[in-house]
Amino acid sequence: MTFYLREVQKIRHIVYGNQGQLEAVIGARRFLDGNLDGNINLDLLSENSYISKFHLLRLFKQYYGQTPRQYLTDRRIERSKICLRRGMGIAQTCYAVGFESPNSFSTLFKSRTGVSPTQFKKEQFSQRSMPPHSETSCIEFKT
Amino acid sequence: MKVKVLSVPVWDQEQALAFYTEKLGFIKKVDLPLGEDRWLTVVSKEEQDGVQVLLEPAPKHFEPAKIYQQALFDAGIPYTQFDVESVQQEYDRLVGLGVAFSVPPTEMGTVNIAVFDDTCGNNIQLVEMR
Repeated sequence: MTFYLREVQKIRHIVYGNQGQLEAVIGARRFLDGNLDGNINLDLLSENSYISKFHLLRLFKQYYGQTPRQYLTDRRIERSKICLRRGMGIAQTCYAVGFESPNSFSTLFKSRTGVSPTQFKKEQFSQRSMPPHSETSCIEFKT
Repeated sequence: MKVKVLSVPVWDQEQALAFYTEKLGFIKKVDLPLGEDRWLTVVSKEEQDGVQVLLEPAPKHFEPAKIYQQALFDAGIPYTQFDVESVQQEYDRLVGLGVAFSVPPTEMGTVNIAVFDDTCGNNIQLVEMR
């Protein structure tokens, strides 16, 4: 057995020993992934996970290193890039990935990626031409 | 400040380019002659505007780099990691292409991992968030 595998086993035992907690946070993450376009809040996530919201918040941060809100925002931005690459409009993309206002979506998108959604779209089409079927659909991306 | 390039040391750039494009499915992004070597980068097919992987020939010219790379490899430690949608599917696909794995698909808490040999001196880890 390599040094690395021994370390993996050691860390798994120390960090991931509580199977119940692990399954709860994995379930919560999958719920977020499956409802990226929905109006999700901590109460809903908590109800779905059968854990108090403050405990869930703490566990999620402990196991994923981010709060559910941070994770959700990252995933939504990631998916919005796919939508924009596929030629969807800004407003359509905004609602498709669960944001409520195109203006706040544009501001957030720019703060995360360094460019506005409009600029991002232009860059995509000027840099390359990729057939739509070669990327995961922004609509069918649910896991 | 932005992260645009991460480097992976390789014994042979041409061999590395073949492996990273033909087996892993990356796309060549930049290929510039630099004396006897090249500034050679590849990107993910799904994120062609994403971080570039520089296939750099450090072990070829700098002995300590070669020793460090070999020590990591012998210990089974991944030099870097790439995200995938499904570790099991990538494992099946790559095994079918003759890629050797030192760690088969394995659950590791909130992620699944697997580790393969990139044939250029490195262990590379695949990661899927669970």
